[in-house]
Amino acid sequence: MAQENVLEKENEMAQEGFEPRILGFFCHWCCYAAADSAGVSRYQYPPNVRVIRVMCTGRIDTRFILEAFRCGADGVFTGG
Amino acid sequence: MAETCKQFLADCGINPDRLTLEWASAAEAPRFVELITGYVNRIKEKGETGTAEGEADSATIRRRLKAAVKAAEARKPRSALGMLAKKLHKDGEYTKEAIAKGVSSKIVPALRAERIKEEIMLLLKEGPMDIDALCSALSAKKEEVEKPLSQLQKKGVVEEQDGKFKLKGK
Repeated sequence: MAQENVLEKENEMAQEGFEPRILGFFCHWCCYAAADSAGVSRYQYPPNVRVIRVMCTGRIDTRFILEAFRCGADGVFTGG
Repeated sequence: MAETCKQFLADCGINPDRLTLEWASAAEAPRFVELITGYVNRIKEKGETGTAEGEADSATIRRRLKAAVKAAEARKPRSALGMLAKKLHKDGEYTKEAIAKGVSSKIVPALRAERIKEEIMLLLKEGPMDIDALCSALSAKKEEVEKPLSQLQKKGVVEEQDGKFKLKGK
């Protein structure tokens, strides 16, 4: 595809609707592995989640979540 | 922890449903996909932070969260969290209700007090304000604002002039 077409398409996508910015905290042993195997087995899921891998969900602090919202996240998904 | 965050987010004017805690084991990829899809769709319905029903506007939220992050670092709420964990362990009671009750009676008030104190500082940085304006900007009661304000005055950070409060040296 020519570059203009790509840009046009991207523009269209931006106008199509609201895409939430979601921050995900995933446990290394559970949810992160689940997300990994979901990718390997080619399940489709929305690309809105930016993932931060933590070694355990117990590591997550109140501050992390508040900071995420402060930086403009529209949602925080914690996966254990 | 999740309960604390949810209640405190509500206190800051954010819909607490924006935060979710789910469990999916490493072998449950389909479940994970289901959870994440459902969650993203729910957030899509809500729209950006600060636009859903019952939420404060985004400028207020930003200021409030700035104060909230500092509040979460403060000693008092953190020790309240520790004390509650200790108490729950001692009583051997881990029901959702018991945790929610403990959080709303012990931790959130401590966090809220710290948040108000930090927010007063942020507001006064922008210019002098009287107590009524402070109350409405903080959406707090008068007595909730007066206490930290007098503490800050005692510390010599804030001073009063013609019924308005301002940061010292400004």
